[in-house]
Amino acid sequence: MKSLIKKIANTDIGILIRNSFNYKPINFKHNKKKFPRSVSDAFLWRTDNGYKTKFKFSDILKLFYKVNDSWVEFHFYSKNNKIIKKEKVKNLLLSNEFEINSKYLGNIEDYGTFYIFHYSKNMTNLKNQDIISNRCYLGYSQNNNLHTFVHGNTFAKFANINSGDEISTDIVKTSLFKNQTYTIQKYFGDFDKNELFFVNPTNKLIKFSIDKENYKLEPNHTFKLEITNPIVSIKSNCMFFRPTIFSYKGIYVDVHHS
Amino acid sequence: MICFFMNFFYGINNIFLKSEIQIPTFQNRNLNKTSLKLFKTYPENKKWILKEVLNNKINDYFYILKNEDISNNEIYFLADESIYDNFNNKKLENFNNFTDTNPAFRANLKVYLTNGGFSSYQSEYPYAMITKKGSIISPVASIANSYADKNYVFIKNIFEEPIVDYYKTYLVNYETKKIEDQFKIKTNYTNCIELNQKHIKPEIFLVTEKFLGIPMYVSIKNNFISFEHTHPPHEYILSKNKFLKITDIKKEINEIIN
Repeated sequence: MKSLIKKIANTDIGILIRNSFNYKPINFKHNKKKFPRSVSDAFLWRTDNGYKTKFKFSDILKLFYKVNDSWVEFHFYSKNNKIIKKEKVKNLLLSNEFEINSKYLGNIEDYGTFYIFHYSKNMTNLKNQDIISNRCYLGYSQNNNLHTFVHGNTFAKFANINSGDEISTDIVKTSLFKNQTYTIQKYFGDFDKNELFFVNPTNKLIKFSIDKENYKLEPNHTFKLEITNPIVSIKSNCMFFRPTIFSYKGIYVDVHHS
Repeated sequence: MICFFMNFFYGINNIFLKSEIQIPTFQNRNLNKTSLKLFKTYPENKKWILKEVLNNKINDYFYILKNEDISNNEIYFLADESIYDNFNNKKLENFNNFTDTNPAFRANLKVYLTNGGFSSYQSEYPYAMITKKGSIISPVASIANSYADKNYVFIKNIFEEPIVDYYKTYLVNYETKKIEDQFKIKTNYTNCIELNQKHIKPEIFLVTEKFLGIPMYVSIKNNFISFEHTHPPHEYILSKNKFLKITDIKKEINEIIN
């Protein structure tokens, strides 16, 4: 009986109920399928307002698993989760980089998300329970100035390393109610402008509020919000909902995760 | 077993770079202000010296440490008055669990140039890290900018004993299996290493021997600045065998440096 209750408590419905009532809440859960698995964060790209985005990533399969024939695939989405392009990159170095500008995305000057998946046909050194996650680094440059770097921060999607089948999501869990509060531990009062970029890493609708203003974020959508409060508390139904922050003073900008 | 561990905070004091630390007086899931005070400690004559940090509070939500308040050998933490009775000057202890939160309790650590740019990240040094010895591996090209005017890596080490022990840090070429450069750094200090452009390559890894630490990279170009830390290798592997994989790569690197 006990093990049956435990099993139910760990199903998607069970976790949703636990999170809704804050009873042993679960922030992340990796489903028991698609092994060996490559997990991607939801990475923010910007080509609006003179921005370009540099992306740096390691060949994890080469470094940790001695796989020499791996490749990666990038999936780029608009802020409204419309696919823009997919790109396969072979011949990887231990550390790799490329730049995302408006030309690369078909003259789009906007923002959105992208994902990276590692693949290989060589499974010799990979075991059936292996999960890799490339947290990577993003550099944002406005008006061709120095890129300011920040690492990835939100598990979002995953795929089987051995096949290019469907991409799955919902590693980050949600609740029925807006019962999760996260206050960013930074004082925003010293800046000319502060932008928060929220990404919905799930296939569920995220409802959130900041300073009594209510917002909704559709599955896998991205949302930019300019804030004026010196202290920012986010109330949401998502168990891990932390924006990327752009803080401006004069011609300078600081980017970091929250 | 649930373990409660506090976080320590740190800064950078340097002739070309200034820093500022904002240490919150609230937890990220609860905006209620704590009455805990801000203390600092540093090693001197093989003892930890304890002092309260005075007059640095802003609007009750943050303790602000300005550049002139920060020293490379100091660490900062929140505690109540009982610390005066309980402080062990031979070994740092887990004084309280106020900063043990999920998501992690963080302070904003900002670096800036006089009349120039600024960059920050949400920083912490977990207690669990100060009780261990070991080595760190950090891919240099992941954040350092080969086209910046200057690149530096700052390595913060905090070790539980009040010792100033010198140890080596290497730039290792993982492909040629050779040491490209080496430096002497010390424990309980924010160390600074200037990176040569020729070492910003995908196959170069920064490796420490004997002690752990947090590697933070700073790039400067035309008065703009970027500041971010690299992930420890175990962040790239989510499966249970992560430490075996890390041990394998550390063994390989150790063979090069030894």
